[in-house]
Amino acid sequence: MAVPGLRHHREDARGRGLNDTGIQNIQGNHACAVAAVAAGCRFFAGYPITPSSEIAERISVELPKAGGTFVQMEDEIASMAAVIGASAGGIKAMTATSGPGFSLKQENLGYAAGAEIPCVIVDVMRGGPSTGMPTRPAQGDFMQSRWGTHGDHACIVLAPWSVKEIYEQTVRAFNLSETLRVPVIVLYDEVIGHLVETLDPGSVDTGEITTRKWAGGDPAQYRPYACGEDDIPPMARPGDGYRSHTTGLTHAENGFPSQDPTTVDRVARRVLGKLARHNDLVEQVDCYDLDGAQVLIATCGITARAAKSALRLLQDKGIAAGLFRPVTLWPFPEESYREAARGKQQILVPEMNAGQLIYEIQRLTPPGVPVAGFNRLDGEPITPRQIAERVEELLNHD
Amino acid sequence: MTDVPSAEFNIRDYLRTELFPHFMCPGCGHGIALRALLWALHELGISKDNLAVVSGIGCSGRVGAYIDANTFHTTHGRPLAFATGLKLARPDLKVVVLTGDGDCLAIGGNHLIHACRRNLNITCLLLNNEVYGMTGGQVSPTTTEARYTTTTPSGNHEPAFDACKLAEAAGAGFVGREMTLQTPALKNLVKEGMSHNGFAFIEVLSDCTEIYGRKNDLGESPEMILAQKAEFRSKDYGMERDEVFQPRSLATGVLSRNDHEEYTAAYRKHVLSKASS
Amino acid sequence: MAVASAKPAPRAVARPQNVLIVGVGGQGVIMVSKVLASLCQLQGYDVKQSQVHGMAKRGGTVFSHVRYGERVYSPTIPEGEADVLVALEWAEGMRWLPYLEQKNGTVFVDTQQIVPPFACRNRHRGAVGGYVRETVADIMAHVPNSFALDALGIATALGVPKASNSVLLGAMSTALEFPPDDWKEIIERFVPPKTVQANLKCFDSGRDWALSFDRDGLLEKHAESAPLTVETPREKPDDLSHIDIEANWCKGCDICVRFCPERCLVMNDQQIAEVAYPERCTGCRICEWLCPDFAITVKTPGAVA
Ligand code: SF4
Ligand code: SF4
Repeated sequence: MAVPGLRHHREDARGRGLNDTGIQNIQGNHACAVAAVAAGCRFFAGYPITPSSEIAERISVELPKAGGTFVQMEDEIASMAAVIGASAGGIKAMTATSGPGFSLKQENLGYAAGAEIPCVIVDVMRGGPSTGMPTRPAQGDFMQSRWGTHGDHACIVLAPWSVKEIYEQTVRAFNLSETLRVPVIVLYDEVIGHLVETLDPGSVDTGEITTRKWAGGDPAQYRPYACGEDDIPPMARPGDGYRSHTTGLTHAENGFPSQDPTTVDRVARRVLGKLARHNDLVEQVDCYDLDGAQVLIATCGITARAAKSALRLLQDKGIAAGLFRPVTLWPFPEESYREAARGKQQILVPEMNAGQLIYEIQRLTPPGVPVAGFNRLDGEPITPRQIAERVEELLNHD
Repeated sequence: MTDVPSAEFNIRDYLRTELFPHFMCPGCGHGIALRALLWALHELGISKDNLAVVSGIGCSGRVGAYIDANTFHTTHGRPLAFATGLKLARPDLKVVVLTGDGDCLAIGGNHLIHACRRNLNITCLLLNNEVYGMTGGQVSPTTTEARYTTTTPSGNHEPAFDACKLAEAAGAGFVGREMTLQTPALKNLVKEGMSHNGFAFIEVLSDCTEIYGRKNDLGESPEMILAQKAEFRSKDYGMERDEVFQPRSLATGVLSRNDHEEYTAAYRKHVLSKASS
Repeated sequence: MAVASAKPAPRAVARPQNVLIVGVGGQGVIMVSKVLASLCQLQGYDVKQSQVHGMAKRGGTVFSHVRYGERVYSPTIPEGEADVLVALEWAEGMRWLPYLEQKNGTVFVDTQQIVPPFACRNRHRGAVGGYVRETVADIMAHVPNSFALDALGIATALGVPKASNSVLLGAMSTALEFPPDDWKEIIERFVPPKTVQANLKCFDSGRDWALSFDRDGLLEKHAESAPLTVETPREKPDDLSHIDIEANWCKGCDICVRFCPERCLVMNDQQIAEVAYPERCTGCRICEWLCPDFAITVKTPGAVA
């Protein structure tokens, strides 16, 4: 836990002096850019915004080396649109932003969800609302990342807690997005974004790099949104002879607009249900010391790191506490949480916002088990000591 | 839907005929504009498989779906941004954007400016019918002054603007304007625009007969098309382009060209070639 | 106003009464439902009116639910529960029939037909139109309380074609319990002052028509007359012509007729362009270029069709 000391340490944006293949000290945002290229990303469109700009800076160096394209668009909306356009062209694509910019991307994020076009969006959270505290961390976009766009939609949100995990989860974001044809958001706060840690990309087990399923067979028979057992329709790549139509209107399996109630319902249910169907791929949680714990701390991102240290502090005082950390924040790992919460007498949800994750935790916690929050709104990370003290305070109140 | 177009232009080779009759209102000029586009594609020998048509929201946005190509119906105002991503990712595709006056000049105005500035090899057809037809006839950035719309009940008091001048100033490689009445001339203009290596912006003067025409008593479809001829002055007839902009007295034909470097060429030259891999 | 002062205590209705009014854009569905809703409100009922405009383009569906009773909660009428269905256009009436309460529901449908571009979808050469095929006889045979009327005809006969909705209101007033004078009071408020008399006359005619509706007579008459279906024009074996018109794609905009320099084309009584003088055609293609619906193909002599 050397977080505070390293927060303001910045690397050279061009990454000079870093050995790409070897062990390196690398900033979270740079790790994200490097991981994206490793995952096969060949297109990035973005717009400058603190504290995510280093991702754009680094990837503008990395992409041309891999023959890819970096473009800085005229605004956040355009960069999201360009990413979807590039992905529709058959290329893995990504954009990165922060709170207010993320809000602007929501319009087209809805389009990507509706038309099922893979794309990866990184949101490096800062203090908000509005311009807020651009250089200070927060965890205020937990809900925006899930519900920011309009209408019912499927999306995946991954919440890494370290530089290494930013690397892993960025790669995983591309894999999931491609495999499931769904927008995937990588969500972390300014602290990890600017944190420099030692990373050996070679040691990161990212598993297999996957690419979406392409349409094959007779073009005359191709229906863009018809799919087999897996509920994921194969995608046509322009130029391959399928000449299909893609629209943000509700559509039938043939890709053309439809308002027929049964068709609309059928397609919507498939799209909304596909993540649950592939929950084995989607869900990822990280738990510590759950057995015999009296208290459960549930949180993610940088706050979970503080919580993990707090477990030791509490242990020293004879309090058995465990940690539940959703790495896949959305869809929320409901069953795993219920499992983790079983038999606990007190739940604590520390987060760097006025209380967002706590709603989900309250919803899933058995009645009778108290759920308390610990919230910091001052642009400073939550410390292990604060969490430990809060736990003690809660137990003493009993 | 045949895969290989015949030597003579048969529009059905380029249409998704199973979707017809199309959804535009009787007399809507967008159909004529679509014909000119498809005709130009045929004469240029562009393959449908390699053609991507990107459109936004509005009546103009729905036109693209009728083309038997790779068609993308995107979000309101964003087709140029979407097309930018698509073209950068796939420089091998021929990318055409179909947009309308509200889509391109109001909500999407910023994207137009920067698409012109980047000079990426995309052809953008602005189907200008001076009104938001799909949503019921509200005022648009090109509505002629004093005309009635559902949001200007006492006549439009805002000035209209000249999209071609904007495009030229922003650096578009090719700028032109034509009316639907002159279908062959429009086809030729689109051909020229598509052959230009850079961003081609073409304003097509189209008619909204059912909503705008009726509201303003502009007559039936034939009267509206004829009015294009009566009210537009061709550049060939010596109109000074520097005149103060007057809606309904616009120059037509090729309005400007420049030889700015095309974006993907510039990217290859200045970025890709210098990247050490 | 007289109506307001004479406000009666609401009649005890077992459940809310449901009136569904449907038509296509521009016909006055909203006006008709506003008249009804205001009337119910002045009679002391709780009223809910919800309406949906289709796309604001010509031919889009417009429908309005009016529910009234002592207490009304949901603003929408579930399928099969409309007590009265009023359709200002024939095909719309047919489309919404499933919403009618099957046993006791009453339907008033105008025989006026407006063929929207959408209805033409999937039509191919020589096929029957996509427009509904039910005839007046069909509907009367299936729905016991059905009234098919030519409101426009009745209004036109009175010299006020624009007041045809008042004819429908008059007919529909026979199915609801409100006294005719209360209806008229409300109509007066909703129509332009100059047209009050004409509209009231139309209301009376509509009411009289419904009260004296001769179901059996009409059934007989329609059984022998041609069905109301819009006929798709037959394919014309005109070898002479170089001009091929896809009738199912034509929307009758008149552009080709007016622009043909040789005046070869005419509009037929179905509002579809037809080649009347093929021998005059010079093959200039102006009609083909300007047809916004790609309905015309001018064949170059010698080319393979
Ligand atoms: S081709 Fe020319 S002459 Fe022949 S019908 Fe068409 S417009 Fe008339
Ligand atoms: S121009 Fe086309 S749509 Fe219009 S009347 Fe002629 S054939 Fe019909």
